[in-house]
Amino acid sequence: MGKARGRMLLGVLFALAACSKESRDLEASQPMTTPSGPSDPRAVAFTGNAFQVSQGGRYFSWYGCSSCHGDDVTGPLDLGDRRWLHGNSIDQVYASIAGRHGRLGGQIQSEQLWQLSAYVQQLPSLAPERRRRQDNDQKGEPQGAQWGGPLR
Amino acid sequence: MGRTAAMIRTLFLCFLLGGCAGVQTPLDPAGLQSAQLLSLFGLMLWVCGVAYVLVLGFLGWSLWRARRRIAAETAPEVNPVHRGLSRGLWGWTAFVATGLLLLAIASFLTDWTLARAERRGAIEVSVTGHQWWWRIQYRDPASGQWIETANELHLPQDRTTLIRLGAADVIHSFWIPNVAGKMDVIPGRANQLALTPRRAGWFRGQCAEFCGPQHAHMALDVKVESPAEFTAWLAAQAKPAAAGGDPTALAVVTAGPCAACHMIRGTDAKGRVGPDLTHLASRRSLAAGTLPMSRGAVQGWVAQPRAIKPGTMMPPVPLSGPQADAVSRYLMALK
Amino acid sequence: MSPDNTLPAWTDPPGLWGFLTTVDHKRIAARYVVTTIAMMFLAGMLALDMRLQLSGPDMGRMGPQEYNESFSLHGSTMMFLVAVPVMEAMGLWLVPLMLGQRNVAFPRLSAFSYWLYLGGILMLWVPHALGITPDLGWFEYAPLSGPAYSPGHRADIWAQMITFTEVAALAASVNLAATILKMRPPGMSLARMPMFLWAMLIASLMTIFALPAVMLVTSMLIADRMVSTHFFNVAGGGDPLLFQHLFWFFGHPEVYIIFIPAVGFVSSIVETFARRPLFGYRFMVLALVAIGVLAFGLWVHHMFAVGLPRIGNAFYTAASMLIALPAGIQIFCWIATLWDGRGIRFATPLLWVIGFIITFVIGGLTGVMAAAAPLDLQLTDTYFIVAHFHYVLVGGAMFPLFGAFAYWYPKATGRLMSERWGKIAFALIFGGFNLGFFPMHLLGLMGMPRRIYTYGPEMGWGTLNLVATIGVAIAILGGVIFVANAWISYWRGRPAGADPWGGPTLEWATSSPPPPHNFDWVPVVEGFTPLWDAPEGLPVMTGLPEDRRKVMITSASTATAEYLQGSPGPSIWPLIAGLAVSVMFVGSIFTPWAVAIGAVPIGAALTAWFWPKRKRATTGPLGGRPA
Repeated sequence: MGKARGRMLLGVLFALAACSKESRDLEASQPMTTPSGPSDPRAVAFTGNAFQVSQGGRYFSWYGCSSCHGDDVTGPLDLGDRRWLHGNSIDQVYASIAGRHGRLGGQIQSEQLWQLSAYVQQLPSLAPERRRRQDNDQKGEPQGAQWGGPLR
Repeated sequence: MGRTAAMIRTLFLCFLLGGCAGVQTPLDPAGLQSAQLLSLFGLMLWVCGVAYVLVLGFLGWSLWRARRRIAAETAPEVNPVHRGLSRGLWGWTAFVATGLLLLAIASFLTDWTLARAERRGAIEVSVTGHQWWWRIQYRDPASGQWIETANELHLPQDRTTLIRLGAADVIHSFWIPNVAGKMDVIPGRANQLALTPRRAGWFRGQCAEFCGPQHAHMALDVKVESPAEFTAWLAAQAKPAAAGGDPTALAVVTAGPCAACHMIRGTDAKGRVGPDLTHLASRRSLAAGTLPMSRGAVQGWVAQPRAIKPGTMMPPVPLSGPQADAVSRYLMALK
Repeated sequence: MSPDNTLPAWTDPPGLWGFLTTVDHKRIAARYVVTTIAMMFLAGMLALDMRLQLSGPDMGRMGPQEYNESFSLHGSTMMFLVAVPVMEAMGLWLVPLMLGQRNVAFPRLSAFSYWLYLGGILMLWVPHALGITPDLGWFEYAPLSGPAYSPGHRADIWAQMITFTEVAALAASVNLAATILKMRPPGMSLARMPMFLWAMLIASLMTIFALPAVMLVTSMLIADRMVSTHFFNVAGGGDPLLFQHLFWFFGHPEVYIIFIPAVGFVSSIVETFARRPLFGYRFMVLALVAIGVLAFGLWVHHMFAVGLPRIGNAFYTAASMLIALPAGIQIFCWIATLWDGRGIRFATPLLWVIGFIITFVIGGLTGVMAAAAPLDLQLTDTYFIVAHFHYVLVGGAMFPLFGAFAYWYPKATGRLMSERWGKIAFALIFGGFNLGFFPMHLLGLMGMPRRIYTYGPEMGWGTLNLVATIGVAIAILGGVIFVANAWISYWRGRPAGADPWGGPTLEWATSSPPPPHNFDWVPVVEGFTPLWDAPEGLPVMTGLPEDRRKVMITSASTATAEYLQGSPGPSIWPLIAGLAVSVMFVGSIFTPWAVAIGAVPIGAALTAWFWPKRKRATTGPLGGRPA
């Protein structure tokens, strides 16, 4: 009886985990604050959610990050090479984006920084094609201060 | 036949509908294109109406006729004689075929008229659909520069404006029903739409292809004005924003978060991902037709955009009371 | 011929095992129909939810995410999990009975079709229960459904649900087409085939040609999202319009695939209740074939606003208007049959036919309006089109379906549904539907676009939306009464006997409900109203064995008897093959390797399924050379 119940609980938890990965909350929320540390409990709501990571990818394109951190760049600017010069915990990535990008870093709002951090933290494990798929779909959108017009 | 019958029909429909003379309806044509289409619709109503009355009449007659006969327990008729029914079938077929032919020809003629209007384009306008707003760019005839605004389109009366349509992300549809039919904006496709407004005034357009969570709030205001007023408006839009302003506001708007996404020409705010704010306060509404323009609306929008448009890409910006006041005052001065 | 006269060779094993292994077309069709009723109820609840949200401006009852999920689930369920499957199910149940046959051509395939249909339901609704609902509509256009704008697996779930239901539909259609072509009773040449069988034949052939297009487009979408193909991605050289063309090449024939069986229902009911063979039989058949063919040449009318060349649009305007001609001929022939009938009994099935004529013709006429490409630019993607397609789908397919259900219910269950409650249900559904959906024509003409979760009070759309909500609520109440009537009549309805309506076709020649083997002997027919042609008793052909499962095969056009063929008995392999296919389909939205790995159990299951059970014949038309 206990074993069956345990298995059922596991199934339910698995199912819940499955749905939190896919959940999408569009309603108004309080503005976010900086991560409190590497194990900030809010991190999983971003890194474990497909919508939030994808939003991070969208802002990555919108803020023109690809101009320096593009697909084919190598060296310290390569975000996909698993070599984290400034640490890869969520608060370290957040601090890198907010603090090492001059004026733009200071302008990006906290919730977007969370989304960008979740996206960047996952870049080494995201297959390059997955990153390119999202980039390709977004080729018609503006990137920072550049926009070549809609794709025709 | 045309005009009087069309007017009677429209009035009848107005009586039925009440909301007939609206700012976003094909039933109140203010342009050449929509007027043509309403006439075609009127013809359709007539032909289809007659067909329907005939069908109902035949059905009613059959039921009445059959009721007068004996009911269920009769033996079925195995080898019936067709009487006049065969002739009726041929007659009905001829009527339907003629009606369809008439409507098809009317459709082709309407299409031809609209196509002819398209060749007389004048001003260059480019409209791009984004999730969930409209980027509108006019080409200044004098300098050749593009003048950008968002969510509000001005059109000179009695001139044909040929709009070049594009999409930045997904498929949207550009629709100003009082003036013309809709045209989808599709990534990778260069569509165009001719608008020939005949009546001055304010109208409303709305996105008509599902494009994500805020598809319901992707409208645009359209002002049809005399060519002189239009030129004056365009000249005003071409000017950059006035320099200077409250330092508290500037710290947020032109040096702070807003500058990451928005453009205010003449300042340091050079972002392209969001709508151009250079002449924000000259517009009639905010957030793609969602709120009427006012200082309160601007302040509420900046404080919590997702309370108004859940799912919007604009994040909430935490501002103190004095900051929020200063920012909204500054933005409302961008006329 | 009483139900006690069962042949042991044709009975199913008892209990759960019998349930899982049955290949009796009647049992499979019954579970199909019951499942579609449940899905219709769920989709109807979603509709009510949406209508409540829209019944006033700025209602705030649902946010955009919830609303988008609702309309996507409503449309996908109604189109893929209700409309097509219920028509197939009615065909599956009726076709062998109307042919005087003991089963369909491929009995195990019909079981397989149901299991895959169930897989499709689970593919869509289990994720919904887990909160992962597809939210981009019932035809998720790329690039909105592409990798960047639809993260996660929602779009893949939708796409794969379609794969399930397509395979189920193809299986059912192949089955029905083969049965109708090769298993007709001796004497039932194609020219003497009842309209319903013509309708199922044409709908099945259309399905075989149309469904592969949607299979292709959904697979291409999954490929774009999973393995970086560029079918619909502009930067990679693809085109979003490819999605639309492929989808609508399927999508337009699909609505005729839904409508054409309804044509068959109406023809059957009208004949019986007018006590007269169908007027203009030849014209009806030609009209049906014309619709079946023309339906494949219309799809661009769903794309008039995408900016294709005007001359191209004009062609599709002409074709879309042309298809109204055969439809108009059919309407005339039905009414003419009633006009010339020998008295009419206003029983519930006939009321549904009358409701169909009144409602469907409105939908057809608004369709003619929308067929004009320039006018469509004002009408498409507005509530005018929502009204149009509900009028043709509900009026043109659901009303005949309800009539058919009431008409053949006595045959299936041996009891009659209550006439009084049937009429009440009809009045509520018919009245509620028209009250609910007619205002939507006006809303579209007042500028209300489709798929918006809310609207402002300044638009002036509130009153008509409220009226629409009230109408829809009334119709749903009528639907509940209809189902309650069916349920209660099952236990307490008046016994029906073999032929309560005095019908002309063969299914009325056996008992109600029919025994598992349907008919004791093979009937021989001389016209398309066999029971009326031979009131003193049907001529029959003896020779079918009682101790083995055998069916009679006849030639395709003249239906001369050819030979007896063994008919498979109960088998677990359709279920196992269905499970193997389901596992592969579900796995392939997570990794492409699932296709390769999943093929192995499928191959094993199919091998077991098709393993030959008899020695090769040495004589007769199927005879081979001796070993």
